[in-house]
Amino acid sequence: MENNTTSNEYVRGTLKTIVLNLLAEHDRMYGYEITQEVKDRTGGAIALTFGALYPVLHKLEQEGLLLTESVEVDGRLRKYYSLTHRGNETARTKTNDLERFIEAVRLLLAPKNLATE
Amino acid sequence: MKRLQENRIDQITQYLQASKLDPELLPEILDHLACEAEESLWDGKSFEQIYQNMVNTADAQTLLNLSVDHQNLLAMEKSLNDIVFENRNKSYGAYDLRKGYGQTVQRAVVMGVAFFLLLVMFPQLYAKLIPDPKPDDIAYIVEATPVDIIMEEQPVPPAREEPDPVQKTVKSVTPEVLPDNEVPIEELPPVVDDLQNAQPSTETVDGVDNLEVIAPPVENAVAPKAEAAGVEKRKEETFTFVEQSPQYAGGNEAMAAFLRKNLKYPSQASRAGIQGKVFVQFTVGSDGKIENAAAVKGIGFGCDEEAVRVVKMMKDWMPGKQAGVPVRVRFTLPIAFQLD
Repeated sequence: MENNTTSNEYVRGTLKTIVLNLLAEHDRMYGYEITQEVKDRTGGAIALTFGALYPVLHKLEQEGLLLTESVEVDGRLRKYYSLTHRGNETARTKTNDLERFIEAVRLLLAPKNLATE
Repeated sequence: MKRLQENRIDQITQYLQASKLDPELLPEILDHLACEAEESLWDGKSFEQIYQNMVNTADAQTLLNLSVDHQNLLAMEKSLNDIVFENRNKSYGAYDLRKGYGQTVQRAVVMGVAFFLLLVMFPQLYAKLIPDPKPDDIAYIVEATPVDIIMEEQPVPPAREEPDPVQKTVKSVTPEVLPDNEVPIEELPPVVDDLQNAQPSTETVDGVDNLEVIAPPVENAVAPKAEAAGVEKRKEETFTFVEQSPQYAGGNEAMAAFLRKNLKYPSQASRAGIQGKVFVQFTVGSDGKIENAAAVKGIGFGCDEEAVRVVKMMKDWMPGKQAGVPVRVRFTLPIAFQLD
């Protein structure tokens, strides 16, 4: 549980980039599909809660990076998300930014790890 | 693939509504939870168990946080109004007024400035839009279409100029007295026979024989030349000697009687014993009037004056005549004064 909350803490800052990156790989996805995809690929290390995911999705839609279409499935509305042209560009830059950030964080963390070892 | 029954979905929906989930989020969350539930069903769990799990994970507090997070994310910048009106009745009206205040003020300022500028610049604007008519401006233009005026041609018959009937004349010019070498031969006076049916004129015109009209004498008719040629030039002259001397009307006896009757011997002359002849010269006009009487040679003592007086008293004379024409003649009359 504690592990989960700390992961959530990091996920908060990178969630936008993760979502954009996932959508860039797929044509369109819906919310649960995204959570499942994240869970499968990270082996459950990162679990997106609906409480974190949906506000971000709505925010991205408001910014004009995502398009939505609602399809009725099994008696309920399912909202599919896809990237706009601008969303595609944003996904690329944000992914690059995150990778550089991770590199930097790794540089920051490595000496400490070495020292402790 | 197992599916949730309708009533199960309704149950979840009711739960989400009861926990005051944002309606914008509700369909997605419902789909999400339903997907999870279906997966769990696939794993062989009973719905009751699943539902319990769901309520545990998505408890009321979590859902409320989700709603708040969602709203916070969407409303990036939270204004003072949002803080002031948090947890207050926003539908009352004051919130809307406050929220739209900036926009209202902005609109009001723009409108006010525009109105003020319009008011200030109205005269210039008016003058620009409706310029004063210049004196040489054209008030309106009338397009003149050319009109073909076709003269009604009335062939005017050339008026035959008929000369007015002219009185038949025969050339009859009074012959002028000229030196022999200058006398033109051709102008002979008309014969009587010619003049029988014609009037005398300077030219011979073959006119109508006997005009009914009593025509005035032809314009260029010969003015009657009374005097004989050569003598007429001396007409206005005063003659001293003429063919027929002027005579007192009644003859010399009558004149002598007139003189005897009217002459008064001047007392001076009689006292002085003066006697003699006084020569009174005067002019007898062609009409017989006595003019310019004056004593030419006298004897004095009032006799001259007396003689002139009596001569002037005389009635008209018979004028002297030259070639049968009365003319002015200077005449000298001797008047004798004789004492008895």
